[in-house]
Amino acid sequence: MELLGTVVVLTIKSLIFIIGMFLGAAYLTLLERKFAGHVQQRPGPLHVGPHGFLQPIADALKVLTKEDLVPDSVDKVLFYLASLMAFVPAIMILAVVPFGDPFTIFGVEIKPYITDLNVGLLLALAFGSISIYGVIFAGWASNSKYPMIGGLRKAAVLIGYEVALGFALVGPIMMAGSFSLREIVEAQQNMWFIIPNILAFVVVIFCILAETGRTPFDVQEAEAELVGGYVTEYTGMKFGLFPLAEWYIATFVLSAITVILFFGGWNPLPLMGWLPIPAFVWFFIKVFLLFMFFLWVHWTLPRYRVDQITELAWKVMLPLALANIFIVAIWIIIFG
Amino acid sequence: MELTTTGFWVFSSLAVLSAFGVVFFRNIIYAVLSLISALIMVSGLFFTMGAELIGALQILIYAVAIVVFYVLVISTVPEFRGKAFETKYMLISLPVGFLIFLELAFVSLYGAWKSNTGIFTPEVIQEVGNIKAVATMLFTKYLFPFEVASLILLVAMIGAIVIGRKEHVIDEEAEG
Repeated sequence: MELLGTVVVLTIKSLIFIIGMFLGAAYLTLLERKFAGHVQQRPGPLHVGPHGFLQPIADALKVLTKEDLVPDSVDKVLFYLASLMAFVPAIMILAVVPFGDPFTIFGVEIKPYITDLNVGLLLALAFGSISIYGVIFAGWASNSKYPMIGGLRKAAVLIGYEVALGFALVGPIMMAGSFSLREIVEAQQNMWFIIPNILAFVVVIFCILAETGRTPFDVQEAEAELVGGYVTEYTGMKFGLFPLAEWYIATFVLSAITVILFFGGWNPLPLMGWLPIPAFVWFFIKVFLLFMFFLWVHWTLPRYRVDQITELAWKVMLPLALANIFIVAIWIIIFG
Repeated sequence: MELTTTGFWVFSSLAVLSAFGVVFFRNIIYAVLSLISALIMVSGLFFTMGAELIGALQILIYAVAIVVFYVLVISTVPEFRGKAFETKYMLISLPVGFLIFLELAFVSLYGAWKSNTGIFTPEVIQEVGNIKAVATMLFTKYLFPFEVASLILLVAMIGAIVIGRKEHVIDEEAEG
């Protein structure tokens, strides 16, 4: 009976998180299109609903009702599997991201996170990097040149940036003395970890851009050279899942983790703690600002070449991350 | 039945199934896919046993960092298909496989027997967490083996760089 209760509670909680993320991601597409529009001095979506507000729903209906073409020479099993393999790990990172402290409503204690493991950060890193297989297998299964090159490029980029990302995360972990994302937030009540970890923050920004394939690093789908990269052969909702997973869900969740690591999570902004704003609103404000920063970078900068990207990863980002560990260690010796 | 027991049976049966897939799939990309699945299931097993750190590292290092290189190599070689095995290889592979099995069985049994004797009993680990337990042992009792292992890895890395390096001297001669 206890087993059943645990399973039911966990299922309901996970469903709430997943459905919330889906709806959120749908409206993040609208946000991105509006943002891109204004960056390029045009209004963006305007006609469906007031000020284009219902555009994501129209988009979803369109993508879902499109004809689902599967080319003849693809590896059918992998072709279907790949879109899920890109999408599921991105959602799974949500399992370890806390959105606030536990609070009580109507006498029931509600924990706004699914699990609080003491290896939460490592798991987030693991799930984030496992989504690479979706891209590689999509490239392989399509049995076509451009997707293949796109998948291999993504693999090369990710191998470099995973290493740098892993080392960059060491700084906040050292300061908090814990891998648990909730304890890392609690350790930042007096001072955010951005102060000595500024180098690590720069590295993490680059790594998130590379890992989610946003523009300075979107070599895996580079429209101008690779048609559409690894999504070239995909249609309909299978095509829709890739950008939904990478550009929206992964970027959003990784932004949340960055906020937790460097900007104090759901702690209020400095000197603004007296404002009557709930903790999770602070959290979403910070995540939103960081997400907007990624959009800003995406729609402003041109694309790097793939060899420049890997060179940057190994020759600049990795030494920066290592230097950050050194600086933080000295900081802890002096002030800690 | 408890949740961890259910989890254990689900993960272990899936791990064995995927391991069969690794051996019996002809298409090598499916074999790699089952390898990934087997590694993830093994990490699930670690989680059901309370070894969260090893479980997370299992996904991060084995299922992603190492297998990605397999996938990279395999997917760049066109039409890489497995051949039916020849019987002459079985003469050597069966005894060697059996020896490896014996060694693994010995190590796991010995480890299971030894694990109850250290200072980190399950209760202590519940309190301090996996990471602190592993780090304490790694940086006190096992510091020397740890450093030796990292030195060996460094040597291997330098060797790989030397082998993979482009010969610039020859290029200059060819141009001049």
